[in-house]
Amino acid sequence: MRQRAAVAVGGAFVLVSALSACSANTGGEPQVDTGRQATGVIATDPRDSAGPAPEVAGARRGGTFTILRETPISHLDPQRTYSFAGLMTVPLIARTLTTWKDDGEGNLRLVGDLAETPGRDVDDDCKVWEFRVRDGVRFEDGRPVTAREIGYGIARSFDPDLAGGPTYLQEWLVDTPQYDTAWDFQANRTSLPPGLTTPDDRTLRFEFARPRCDLPFAVSLPTTAPLPSDRDTGVDLGNAPFSSGPYKVTRYRAGVEIVMERNEHWDATTDPVRHQYPDRFVWSFGPTPDAAANRVIADNGADQSALSWDYVPASLIARVAGDAGLRARTILSPTPSANHLVINNARVTDLRVRQALNHAIDREGLVKVLGGRHVAVPMTTLMPPATIGHRTYDAYPAGPDGDPDKARELLGGQRPELVLGAADSSLEQQVATQLKGNLERAGFTITIRNIPDDAKLDEIKKSGNPWDLYLGSWAADWPSGASILPVLYDGRTIRAQGNSNHAYFNDPAINAEFDRILTLPPTEQSRQWAELDERIMEEHAPVVPLYVDVAYLVHGAKAGGIFVSSVFGSPALVDAHVKP
Amino acid sequence: MSLSPAAGPVPAAIGSGGTAGPPRDRRGAGHSPGRLAWLRLRADRTALASGAALVLFLLVALAAPLIELTYGIGPRDQFQDRLDGFGLPLGRAGGVSGEHFFGLEPRLGRDIFIRLVYGLRTSLFVALAAAVLTSVIGVVLGTLAGYLGGWLDAVVTWITDLTLALPFLVVALVLPPMLTLRFYGQRDTVPAAFGVGVLIVIFAVFGWTGTARLIRGQVIALREREFVAAARASGAGPWHMLFRELLPNLRAPILVSFSLTVPQFVTGEAALSFIGVGLTEETPSFGRMIYQSLEYLQTDPAFVLFPGVVIFALVLAVNLFGDALRDALDPKSAG
Repeated sequence: MRQRAAVAVGGAFVLVSALSACSANTGGEPQVDTGRQATGVIATDPRDSAGPAPEVAGARRGGTFTILRETPISHLDPQRTYSFAGLMTVPLIARTLTTWKDDGEGNLRLVGDLAETPGRDVDDDCKVWEFRVRDGVRFEDGRPVTAREIGYGIARSFDPDLAGGPTYLQEWLVDTPQYDTAWDFQANRTSLPPGLTTPDDRTLRFEFARPRCDLPFAVSLPTTAPLPSDRDTGVDLGNAPFSSGPYKVTRYRAGVEIVMERNEHWDATTDPVRHQYPDRFVWSFGPTPDAAANRVIADNGADQSALSWDYVPASLIARVAGDAGLRARTILSPTPSANHLVINNARVTDLRVRQALNHAIDREGLVKVLGGRHVAVPMTTLMPPATIGHRTYDAYPAGPDGDPDKARELLGGQRPELVLGAADSSLEQQVATQLKGNLERAGFTITIRNIPDDAKLDEIKKSGNPWDLYLGSWAADWPSGASILPVLYDGRTIRAQGNSNHAYFNDPAINAEFDRILTLPPTEQSRQWAELDERIMEEHAPVVPLYVDVAYLVHGAKAGGIFVSSVFGSPALVDAHVKP
Repeated sequence: MSLSPAAGPVPAAIGSGGTAGPPRDRRGAGHSPGRLAWLRLRADRTALASGAALVLFLLVALAAPLIELTYGIGPRDQFQDRLDGFGLPLGRAGGVSGEHFFGLEPRLGRDIFIRLVYGLRTSLFVALAAAVLTSVIGVVLGTLAGYLGGWLDAVVTWITDLTLALPFLVVALVLPPMLTLRFYGQRDTVPAAFGVGVLIVIFAVFGWTGTARLIRGQVIALREREFVAAARASGAGPWHMLFRELLPNLRAPILVSFSLTVPQFVTGEAALSFIGVGLTEETPSFGRMIYQSLEYLQTDPAFVLFPGVVIFALVLAVNLFGDALRDALDPKSAG
């Protein structure tokens, strides 16, 4: 009996699986809008920064908007927020000095948020900046937001207990990366850090030792969220943030759920970008990307007005993209997250080898390994196309499938033995296998060495790490070359560990260019960064640009107003609404 | 005085009490227990079918390079031009064709058939080698502990308990990277055989306790039997006692425990690869394939089907054969 049952179970398994496999796949190319260029300006006209934000077509008030995500947002303390999920949520509960007007298609305009305009460069040398605080913005208890509360917010970001957030303002104000020792917040709770002053209740003044032309961008990060000092609960603020935005946190269950409901003291006329359509937002944590996508596709009950925060998993993409009925419920958009095969320039010192690496990679095959054009699009530049002023070029044209012959020619008969360090995650192992195949085809000998997934980033950030090649990615904090090229390729910043310059690239001429461009006004910088991008690749080839991530999202039939942020590549919630 | 049950011919009636036993041998001649077991096994259809399947699997595994030669495709060859824009195989049932018998893997576009053949080789080699090692360690320690008793028994029992208390997963997670670093540094090529070897050692270190306990119990039971006492009274040395008197009577439990550990290690290897600690991506392995295929249940079910069915058939065959072997060797225990 036992055997017959086993045979029956086996037979049924075979039958079910075989039946479901019975349609032929004939291909068909998915389309992604990849040619778009980011345009971005800093809005100097105060009218651009004036509220209210234009109504979203078809939006109405009411309903509960749910967001499904596998991993929780660690906390919602604005000064400590740096994850994409956090950066997209904090705008609902906190306002910042400046913010981005974004149409989700790469057209960006930096406008004043708490400030009336995106800042005034007082002496036209980027060293002294003034922001005039908007009238009529209130906290959730009705108190007005003044320059003092904004200053206090920036001051508390110096607290080493509240680490984790962006550190631009802190480092710029005291002009050293060790900002928490240069100015001790805990000993000076009633004062402001050096360089930051509030001449009156409606003026905030920054004074820097060096030109900081990117300040209007930097203050769009939630470091500048205001907080009255009597409401500062220290490390506990993340569980119960004090709101200045259109929503306030009414329930916080760590790792399970965050519920945000309307803040009645928020005034739409003071806000250039946000809306207050749904009655509440609910973050629901736990379902895997697979489960969340399937739930949202099934479109039942509360999931009808839900968004699956994580991108559609690569294995499900063919199904979602192939279903015409889902087209209206999906969003496909390239993101500013750029991925490179980083070459350890401290080890691979021969330019011709680095150039050969650039010729050898089959980007089209790599995109297939990643899951197709709904996951990644090939890239040949250092900066992603979503950067303001980006220009497409290909310094080492190798066609979509790579040019092994050209690579061999550059190698001139030598057979470099390189070690590729790869995280031991399933996906990165496959990508590494693919790259090894590409490179060995072109005359390299590649050894793949595994690095534990959770330790990989720390390991490659150590100068003197033992690998020649590794995969690296970079998502800038604002779409300007200033937050990409000097951060990743300024050789003077290389230290023992914690390097963002994973390529350990150091060239005095390029370093001097960084210094020169950084002192230009932001509007003049963008073109120069694009030129420098091309120059670095042509003269030095410090990395192999591979691809930019593509956001592919699915949401319920009643969820509306979602677009992919052109700045962070994650779903923006400011226009979200529940359709009737 | 009783004879050792394995010492010589015994009347057939003694051994054939079980339901799975063969028809009574009409010629009436006495058979050795080994011959009796063989007769029972031969009459058991499940045993024959699963045995034949096992032989087939073994042959395929052994002949993998030959199959590669005739098939013309290696386990690392990629056919990405036969994938669509999503990285899924073109054509019917995951790209099944005359050229690719079981279709192609999504993403990397490697041939599933030849990877299964090599995966079978890896799986069977790991499982058989680990099972042999486990049995040897288990039998040696179990027999010594059971027969000699005293402080040796105490020590072996203590080590057994200690091993049972060690967390398998934690060791399996931590040990391979440490050993790799120790032997190959951070930049040297790590041969695939090293990963396989480490896996076998881990399985052996954790797997021997069951066999050892079983054998120790059996030996203690046998130790008090008359034929052992007789042999001892006749002045037999420990060597003779162990190899002529005890071990022949332990053949059945040893074989059975061996046959049950093999499928356990096949699935064990798959499970470890499943959680990402088994073998590396470059070594074809069932576990890794099944792990990667699971996400494709909705979009490329054929990729789940082929490795799934093969490992299912392999484990089923080994298990059924193990059952049949036990029934044949020890009819009284047949269920």
